[in-house]
Amino acid sequence: MSQQAVSSSQRPWLTGMREAIPLLGGYVPVAISFGLVAIQSGFSAQEAVLISALIYAGASQFLFVGMAAAGSPLWLVVVMTLLINVRHVVYAPNLAPWLTASRGWPWLMHALTDQVFALAHTRLPQLPEAQRLGWFSGAALFAWASWIAGTALGALAGEELIARWPLLGEVMPFALPALFLVLVVPRFTTRRWSLALSLTILSALALTVTGFTNLAIPLAAACGALCFQAVKCRLAAKGARHE
Amino acid sequence: MSSALWIAVLASAVGTLLLRLLPMLWMRRRLKRLDHDDGLEAMPQWLGILGPLMIAALLGTSLVPKTLDGISWLATVIGVLATLAVWWRTRTLGWPVAAGVAAFGAVVVLASWML
Repeated sequence: MSQQAVSSSQRPWLTGMREAIPLLGGYVPVAISFGLVAIQSGFSAQEAVLISALIYAGASQFLFVGMAAAGSPLWLVVVMTLLINVRHVVYAPNLAPWLTASRGWPWLMHALTDQVFALAHTRLPQLPEAQRLGWFSGAALFAWASWIAGTALGALAGEELIARWPLLGEVMPFALPALFLVLVVPRFTTRRWSLALSLTILSALALTVTGFTNLAIPLAAACGALCFQAVKCRLAAKGARHE
Repeated sequence: MSSALWIAVLASAVGTLLLRLLPMLWMRRRLKRLDHDDGLEAMPQWLGILGPLMIAALLGTSLVPKTLDGISWLATVIGVLATLAVWWRTRTLGWPVAAGVAAFGAVVVLASWML
């Protein structure tokens, strides 16, 4: 790790960009897929790119264009988009202990996605304080740019891609669950976490299959949190009995 | 795109930014106020619990295929297994996603040839 710290001492933003490259494996396919879906939903390429640049939140963007295209009330589209993104409220406070006093941080929070959070949560504590802003700027802005570029590619070349490879639109969205899977798996660290996470995944899946797609995320997370607390109470009760 | 839809885009964008930004400002104030040596101790416990659970819920919803037929579910299972296998070997973010998409795609393509 000291090697990483030394190598990033001169240009931490460059190190951030380099370390964000693996994120592109998940970002670009999903962004291309979003570009395609947006065009299919009746948006223009410029509109798709602007939505990606401004909202910059994968799952909610799919929901946004889908609901807008289906003619849902716009207030409901905004509420559902924000409801999906409400999970982001837990990310920045988790990073806060390692953020410096710079005024740049608030602006950079626009780029704090699931994947950038996962990367930053690992790397920021390992970096010297003076390098954190540069590193985060490089990683987060590079990921943002790749998301915008991927959307543009999907939107502009989408028709041709579909014509040449008709199954592409069906296959590429799998990047999304694959990415979430990779973010969740390392958290199966204890029996308690494993139970809570498994219950959350299964209940979200069941709710989606039965048609409660919009409620699935908050309800499933609430189920998981209850399970997490229930296991804690049970362990505490067991401990009390042993005493 | 109509002006109403543009307003919806901007409202979603500003709202999403605030969801990311305001908790950071709140936590910074809390850290300053409590003046803990270890900032992690000042973090409410529910924050550390909800983060992973929200991502798990997203995983659950995104696993459901567009068409609920046997082939799509089989492709999903194979894709998940491929993702897990490559993650187990590499412990990275990018390669497992690429492998998962490739495996999912291979099943879909094979099925379209055979049927």
